[in-house]
Amino acid sequence: MTAAAPLIFDIRRYALDDGPGIRSTVFLKGCNLRCLWCHNPESIDPQPEIGFYPRDCINCGDCVEACPVSACQLENPARIDRGKCTRCGDCVKVCPGQALRLLGCFYAVDELLEIIIRDRMFYEVSGGGVTLSGGEPTLFMDYCAAVLGPLQDLGLHTAIQTNGLFDWREFKEKVLPLLDLVMLDVKLADGNLHREYTGRDNALVWANLEGLLKEKPDAALPRIPLIPGFTATKGNLEAISRRLQDLGVRKCALLPYNPTWFSKAESLGKPIDVRLSPHLMTPGEVAACREIFSRAELIIH
Amino acid sequence: MSNVTFTVEELGLRDITLKNMPRLQRMRDRHFDGKPAICTELPRNITTFWKEKLAKLPDKDDSPELKAGKLYQYVMERKEAIIAQDNLLAGTTTTKPLGVLLYPDLYPLCIWPELETIGTRKKNPFDITPAQIKELNSVIFPYWLDKGTIMEATRKALKESDQECAALQERLVYYLVSKPECISHTIPHYGMVVKRGLADIIREARKEEDKPGKSKEQKDFYRAVQLALQGIITYAGHLADEADRQAGMAQNQERRDELQEISRICRKVPAAKPETFHEALQAIWICKIALHQENANLALSLGRLDQILYDLYAEDIKKGHLTPEKAVELVGCFWLGIADHVPMIPEAGEELFGGSGSNQAITLGGVDRDGKDAVNDLTYVMLKATELLVLRDPNVNARYYPDVNPPEYLQRLCEVNITTKATPCFHNDLAVIDTLKSQGVTEQDARDYGVIGCVEPFSAGRTFGHSGAILFNLTSALERTLFGGKHRLTKDELIGEQTTPAVQMNSFDEFQGALKRQLGWLIDRAVTFNNYCGRTHQQMHPCPMLSALMEGCMEKGQDVLMGGATYNFSGAAMIGLADVVDSVTAIQEFGFPHNGNAMAKMIAAIESDWGEGYRDLYAKVKNSSHKYGTDSPLAKDNAKWLMEFLHNTFQSKEHYRGGKYTVGYWTMTNHAGFGMLTGALPNGRRKGESFASGITPVSGSAPVLPACLNFIAGLDHTKITNGQALNLKFPPTATTTPALLSQTIQGYFLKADRSPGGLQVQFNIMNRQKLQEVTQDPGSPEYRDLLVRVSGYTAYFKDLNPQMQQEIINRAEYDLGTKQEIRYPYYERKEEPEPEPGLVARVVTGLGNIVRYVGNWFGELIHRTPAPIRDFLKMLEDKSTGDFLEGLLHFMEFRLEDPLHLDPEYHKNIAKFQGTYRFQDQKSNIETVVSFADGKMRINPDNPPPADLTVTFQDGDCLRNFLLPSPTPKRDFLKKDIMKSILNHEITVEGNLNLLYKFGYLANHLILHPLP
Ligand code: SF4
Ligand code: SF4
Ligand code: SF4
Repeated sequence: MTAAAPLIFDIRRYALDDGPGIRSTVFLKGCNLRCLWCHNPESIDPQPEIGFYPRDCINCGDCVEACPVSACQLENPARIDRGKCTRCGDCVKVCPGQALRLLGCFYAVDELLEIIIRDRMFYEVSGGGVTLSGGEPTLFMDYCAAVLGPLQDLGLHTAIQTNGLFDWREFKEKVLPLLDLVMLDVKLADGNLHREYTGRDNALVWANLEGLLKEKPDAALPRIPLIPGFTATKGNLEAISRRLQDLGVRKCALLPYNPTWFSKAESLGKPIDVRLSPHLMTPGEVAACREIFSRAELIIH
Repeated sequence: MSNVTFTVEELGLRDITLKNMPRLQRMRDRHFDGKPAICTELPRNITTFWKEKLAKLPDKDDSPELKAGKLYQYVMERKEAIIAQDNLLAGTTTTKPLGVLLYPDLYPLCIWPELETIGTRKKNPFDITPAQIKELNSVIFPYWLDKGTIMEATRKALKESDQECAALQERLVYYLVSKPECISHTIPHYGMVVKRGLADIIREARKEEDKPGKSKEQKDFYRAVQLALQGIITYAGHLADEADRQAGMAQNQERRDELQEISRICRKVPAAKPETFHEALQAIWICKIALHQENANLALSLGRLDQILYDLYAEDIKKGHLTPEKAVELVGCFWLGIADHVPMIPEAGEELFGGSGSNQAITLGGVDRDGKDAVNDLTYVMLKATELLVLRDPNVNARYYPDVNPPEYLQRLCEVNITTKATPCFHNDLAVIDTLKSQGVTEQDARDYGVIGCVEPFSAGRTFGHSGAILFNLTSALERTLFGGKHRLTKDELIGEQTTPAVQMNSFDEFQGALKRQLGWLIDRAVTFNNYCGRTHQQMHPCPMLSALMEGCMEKGQDVLMGGATYNFSGAAMIGLADVVDSVTAIQEFGFPHNGNAMAKMIAAIESDWGEGYRDLYAKVKNSSHKYGTDSPLAKDNAKWLMEFLHNTFQSKEHYRGGKYTVGYWTMTNHAGFGMLTGALPNGRRKGESFASGITPVSGSAPVLPACLNFIAGLDHTKITNGQALNLKFPPTATTTPALLSQTIQGYFLKADRSPGGLQVQFNIMNRQKLQEVTQDPGSPEYRDLLVRVSGYTAYFKDLNPQMQQEIINRAEYDLGTKQEIRYPYYERKEEPEPEPGLVARVVTGLGNIVRYVGNWFGELIHRTPAPIRDFLKMLEDKSTGDFLEGLLHFMEFRLEDPLHLDPEYHKNIAKFQGTYRFQDQKSNIETVVSFADGKMRINPDNPPPADLTVTFQDGDCLRNFLLPSPTPKRDFLKKDIMKSILNHEITVEGNLNLLYKFGYLANHLILHPLP
């Protein structure tokens, strides 16, 4: 079952690393995993959320007055008591500095298409296009299909970023034909660890990757997020690379760890697991990971 | 058939480096080591000509044209023939390796007061010798003081009702008409030099002259052309002689051979038609030198050299006489020649135009007259020379025709942009050609456009575009609209149109109407003043050489100044577009909800310079999504009607040579300069901050790059008839590749329906941190050639004034890592930092400059005269201010009388000087007249003659502030106060400014030499 109308929490234009060329990436809200290292903390909950960005706050106190349940308090450095907040959005409406923002907006398909198509020339000249990301966009297959169809008709390059947990038949039928590129995240080779850190087993991920490789091999791009201490371990990466080789995969992509999302989590009042490193990976660490995959003769994207 | 024979790998000519071009390396080093030096050859020759030669009958009664013909023949014949060390091209613009040209009838008198300090000033000093100071002070300047400069002649011509036109110019904040300083901003037809040679043009002129039915004016014109061109040929002969002389002394055979070749070439061209690439470059170079003796070295541009020279290049290559490498070397010599002089900029103007070279634009690529791809091998050779030398002059402009020019050409341009960090800039052929056609230019001529000065595209060699005629401060009209016809700087003064103050307005429509009225009035004043100046040019400064090399003049028998060129325009550059659009939008959004005090709050907020109490409104305004450069329909609409209004109004004006007024959006450094003088604006811009440059959005308010590009591409290009500068800054990271830049340009140049997108774009590839380092250590040799694009022209970053440097550092920077433009949050205004003295003085008219000097003199007198006199003067301070002023003047009188025979030279300054100054306050409590006549200075003489110059102070206090800023020995402090006085309108000056310059020299000399 897929929900009909997702919320969108960001449309990033002039994106350069979500596929070839110059692109727009659309982030759908809602995810069926709970990765401990989720770099898009605002993407998990399918409901609208309120973010607080202290840098933009001018301490005017308007939000305190506006809040019907007294969840907003100036003394609170995080501004909102998440326990009390009903996400009514009243504070957002009055905030002059846009320090309080509502994350997650509904866009009718036409509305979204209009925004995407504004940058059409940049896609055309660069061989770029549109990437649907999340969250997990396959939770909203009908919506995805409705957006991707017209884009494909315009001859634009289309891509999706998925965690691989979707119903294969529905995906193959509705979405896959409309895609030029499927970036499918492979996080952990071990099923138990996968369950522990993301909340679900990984068997479906591998199965869907296999299906994809059979059905549309040119469109498949497995991606491995490198999370120090979790996925970026020698054992895990070697296991993944072996398995990819077995599946006949020729190329894959590595996503080096980047903790800049910590501030996003803070804005939403979400805890950050203490085991996560606050540092970027060193070029040496990244190179060591790459080495594992190039040894397995996988071309790294 | 394509004219590119290089393979794609070869386009970059990667084997050619400065290392294997030792000649260019040496010449480039010398160029950067050199300090500009004043050259007095040209003003000396011009002055001598007028004084001695032309004073004679019957020449005295010649028409202005004929006089000019004789003048330039004389000037060229007497020009010293110099061949710069190592150079393969003979001839220099001045007698110095890096010279400063002075044009005596234009604006040089404003450096009179600075003569003794210009060599040591902090920013961009010019070398000057004592002999030159003496010559300028005692011979050249006095002659032009009597004869009159363009500005003073124009002032005299103004009708009573138009007097305010000059006053507005001198208030500094409204508009600046550049004609008093220059006749330039155009592209001569160098094709004529290459395809015909000057002798042929002379022949044609003679034939035309002899044709029956020609009027006296026409005959005089043809005669003038012959004389002036003959002068150029004589000069070429002198260069050949000099080459022979040097060849005789040459140390090595190689140089001897080179010099002999130079000699051969200069005996042949530019008189005859050049037959090799080298000959053609030399011919153009000699003509270029000649044109700079006649026309100020401001934006006299080169046009499409890769087209004009291609045939000879290709022939030479085919015959094996030339290699691409040799061609790069020759082009390099030419580039360095172009950079061999800088414009004369007085200290005050330094802040406004500081760091500018002389803006000689060159245009590469694009399509030919038939619309076919015109990119050729020579295009790549010239790009290579640009990439190797990294010079601010010439200002390299590349044309790109989407789908016609090959993609690898665009990639190569982007690669050069990334290596040089700032050049070339990119013009969209599709949009430019369309725009030119809308101005009545034929399709073929439109395709043959070249870029003038900063970014202004006009059909090359047949347009007298004077594209830099008017710098127009849009925000000053916005100010007047907000405050009912007043400007905060000029306080209560009401010049011209009065409208309802914004606080009393009831609707946005009313506001819009008032803004249009204020703009319309100011446009009329600026244009009227420009027309007056243009007519003065016609009388005083005909240009036979430029006319000879301009299509149209020969057929019409008319000078370019009279409208001889095929196409005639004068261009205005709008300053502050994005700030005005954002301010208008903010007023629409926050000023006119139905409750009445919203506008009052907005006005109070800007009057408080967005103070603490208005942080909420500030936050709302700043965070509004309705900004110029975003997808906001509101902002788009406001930009649209504003630009349409400007276009229609300018185009509806009468033009003195029968052309049209065009409107462009580029600002050089004026967005920083005018910004300094402007208070807070409704868009959240704080007092004194720079405006957004050119057509670029305000920094921080257009965070989405493609939205910004779409916005600019969506503006109606046919309403942008005088060029635009869109400045973007990318960080030099791994993602900033030639491919990405070229894709970005392509996406911006073409709309989805294949209609034309944006006219122009330019990139600074610049690291914020690096720029900040330079501001800390400007003297470091490491940064001497760090090139940046200002708004159109390129400059060395270290030469720019601090405000301009800051503007470039803050400029919208698209961080491709986060896909976000850097934002600027509200900041607390710190204890207002006293503006850097030079900064305030960003003034072109010599006015500020000179009043400052007068003030310096009085102030310094107090501190530098011996103690007893100082005490005496201090005592006077307690007396009434008027007495005090007189006391000071008496001291000057004492020094001029010189009873102790301490400094007989000083007295010579007034030996033949006549002039009367009046110092007064508005209430006429103070009134002192100083009169110079018969070698005497008289204070308050009986029956004083009418004043030639009146300096008016608002009241006694202002005069006291002016004379006695505060007891500090630092001269900088004085400058600051005097400028403030002018800007606050505590002082106004009326009359012949040249007299003030003279007085300034007298005063400044006393400051520098308090005791002989
Ligand atoms: S699958 Fe992606 S979006 Fe979902 S929780 Fe994991 S990291 Fe976050
Ligand atoms: S969203 Fe509603 S409940 Fe939550 S803090 Fe804002 S105003 Fe209060
Ligand atoms: S309304 Fe916004 S700006 Fe004002 S205190 Fe609340 S969060 Fe801060």
